[in-house]
Amino acid sequence: MPKVAIVKRELSKTVATVAKVLVILLGLLIAIALTSIITGASMELAGITLLQGFLNLNVFVYISTLLPIAVGLSTAFSASAWNLGAEGQLVIGAVGATFIALYTPFGRQEVVAPLMALLFASFLGALWALPAALLKMTRGINEALTTLLMNFIAYHMTNYLVKGPWRGRAVYGYPTTDMIPVQARIPTVPGYSFSWYVVVICVVIALLMQLFLYRTKVGIALRALGSSPRFVELAGISSKRLFLIAFLLSGALAGFAGGVKVLVYHGKLVEGPIVGSGYGFTAIMLSWLGGLNPLLLIPASYYTAALYILSFGLQIGSAAVGDALANAIVGSLLAFILLADFLTKYRLVIRWS
Amino acid sequence: MIRPFLQVVQLYKKFGDITALNNVSLAIYPGEILVVLGENGSGKSTLAKILYGLYFPDKGYIEINGTPVIFSSPAEAKSKGIFLVSQRPQLIDDMSILENIALFLSTSPSRGLRKKLSEILNDLGMAIDVDKSVHALSYTEKQLVDLVKVLLAQPKLLIVDEAATYLPRELKHKFLNIVKGFATRGGSVMYITHKVVEAAEIGDRFAVLRRGSVVGVFEKGVDVSTLRQAMFGSEEYLTATTKSPVQRPPHKTPALSVENLVVFDEYGKPAVNDVSLSVRLGDVVAILGITGNGQKELGEAIVGLRKVAKGKVLLNGDEITYMPASERVRRGLIYVPEDPFREGVAIGLTVAENMKLFSQSRVSKEILETAIKKLEVSPSNPLISVAKLSGGNIQKVSLSRLLLNTPRVVIAYSPTRMLDEKSRVLILRTLQKLAESGSAVLLLSEDIEEAVYISTRIGVIVNGKIVKFFEGPELESYREDIEKVMVHA
Repeated sequence: MPKVAIVKRELSKTVATVAKVLVILLGLLIAIALTSIITGASMELAGITLLQGFLNLNVFVYISTLLPIAVGLSTAFSASAWNLGAEGQLVIGAVGATFIALYTPFGRQEVVAPLMALLFASFLGALWALPAALLKMTRGINEALTTLLMNFIAYHMTNYLVKGPWRGRAVYGYPTTDMIPVQARIPTVPGYSFSWYVVVICVVIALLMQLFLYRTKVGIALRALGSSPRFVELAGISSKRLFLIAFLLSGALAGFAGGVKVLVYHGKLVEGPIVGSGYGFTAIMLSWLGGLNPLLLIPASYYTAALYILSFGLQIGSAAVGDALANAIVGSLLAFILLADFLTKYRLVIRWS
Repeated sequence: MIRPFLQVVQLYKKFGDITALNNVSLAIYPGEILVVLGENGSGKSTLAKILYGLYFPDKGYIEINGTPVIFSSPAEAKSKGIFLVSQRPQLIDDMSILENIALFLSTSPSRGLRKKLSEILNDLGMAIDVDKSVHALSYTEKQLVDLVKVLLAQPKLLIVDEAATYLPRELKHKFLNIVKGFATRGGSVMYITHKVVEAAEIGDRFAVLRRGSVVGVFEKGVDVSTLRQAMFGSEEYLTATTKSPVQRPPHKTPALSVENLVVFDEYGKPAVNDVSLSVRLGDVVAILGITGNGQKELGEAIVGLRKVAKGKVLLNGDEITYMPASERVRRGLIYVPEDPFREGVAIGLTVAENMKLFSQSRVSKEILETAIKKLEVSPSNPLISVAKLSGGNIQKVSLSRLLLNTPRVVIAYSPTRMLDEKSRVLILRTLQKLAESGSAVLLLSEDIEEAVYISTRIGVIVNGKIVKFFEGPELESYREDIEKVMVHA
């Protein structure tokens, strides 16, 4: 019987980093191969499409949604707050933004409308995360389960809204709301469906979160919470409050992303699964890809966005694959990167005896 | 001439910029106890971990019975008969004692094993149920179970890395006797410690490590002061036994009082049973007891990490019985926890980050550096991750909370057990100074010496009850009485 042992190893930081970068590059090759097999396009075409993906301004469409969610989730995960409900929080954020734009007087005021809409979207996102946090804090109910379930409630609530009371008058019976007023929309780059304003805000959020987590006492305590709540308590910081902060921050940022989707991308509220389109789940993988570090999430989200474009770029005409391919690629890449992470810290010793 | 069982040849090990071992060569013969002596962070544990296959040396190798080997895992070390008992008990918290030991020995938790184990534990005077799950044990109990676990594996070389250092005196004697017996039967022992007196008591040969290098090897009968000098490299060494009695202005109001406290353990049995005590400002009160008699639960209940079943806790006259721990800390109650690794520091954060969290006010860079310097945390780089420090240095980081705050009340659970003598004196002095400048200090300990050294009052806790208080200027003279009460009451 062969004996397998997992043995710790010490690699210098440079070697470990180089190894990770290599894996990330290798991942691109795998992505190209996978795409070409599934879509039937030649490897060459897939390679060129991927390269174009990195140079395509459309990456910012994905970055403006994925980055804020992943930044929020990284904060939650570093505090061991297992929020798996970003998808639902995003969808509810979209509902919130639509509400402000369509059903309040703010909706027709320039500048005020998008700002109010984004704020309210963040607020609703946080609110949607709150029950799970409270259940965990008071009853010890596993937050991963409750947040996951809340996603479906969010989907169906949104479906009800767009098929029922909020269905637009000028949409020919499609399950969407009317378009939101022009004043509420965030101006996009001509010919693209993203806005530089939003991209800048997203990067600023990542930078601020980095400062928060590494420079402020509350942020440092958040990172300590994961390893020991008792340690944090003994430092005079309420572990419950920290948990709540981590949870609400992640909910708010997912809600913000939902607002962005309505105000920049859709221009109206659509069915729940279409608003969410799995970004809330992809962001979970993304946050681990970036090592839960807001700063690293900026390149990591760029990388993920390029992969999205690769899979969509080759799918024109074969919509049946949907965004499943992008998710499959990102997912398998994440697995590779985690494996690389493991292999830089440990090695396998196999003995035949 | 006898051949050594094991030789280490020119070992080098670096962690980043820190040289942990620098050209270390040693030999261990069958039937001898080789003491490896050194202050906190001198490289003792790194050496042990290389021998046990946990670390890979950068240079150098190990020779066993003349054959060179380098282990890449503990499994390989174990197959050569090398076993380690470390300063952090290696047990799985969610399993019972019996399951842990069966797992370690790769056997089933059979009736035979259960019987053998109960007997050994009984011999050591620890009547613990072997089906008890490990997380309910105190640190000291875990340490002991870990030692028993390794002895059952019938090692050829037993590495004891500070594992007996923190056992209460009585148990320690029993344990040392077992180790000596093991050596007389031909086993080799590498006994790692920072306690000079203890080293002199047990060792056949002594290797002194300083900053990763062997600075001297001594034979049995060597003078304790010679060892000390080799260890610290300086003559201006303060011995721990110079007691400095202080006249304190009497304060009448208690800063901390506990009234008829009842606290349950994990199994719903009372661990603290109707305990009342009070500590005035300027007082140092010690609660002494053999481990497992309720000190841990008492401390945790006072600071708020454990639920109080009955009774009251008052801080400055305000009831705090049901307040969360963080609120109590903010009100000036500083707690030094039992287990520095899990509760004393956040292992993933840097030294500076840990200290920032401890301080209840903003800390400047200078304050941080002063604290690090004063505690002689080594390496002294505040931006290094705590996980890279040795056990003693981790405890120093945990203790920095005493230097970074001006607490009303300090509760310290065995605050010096991982420290070398120099740091130990520093911490005891710090506690004393805090009391002099108006804090109330409650020391929970298993160590009579340190209790006698700084306390004004000593209570002895047995089975969750404080059976007797000793008081007066000459606590030293009660030492024997205290010991008797601890053991026999």
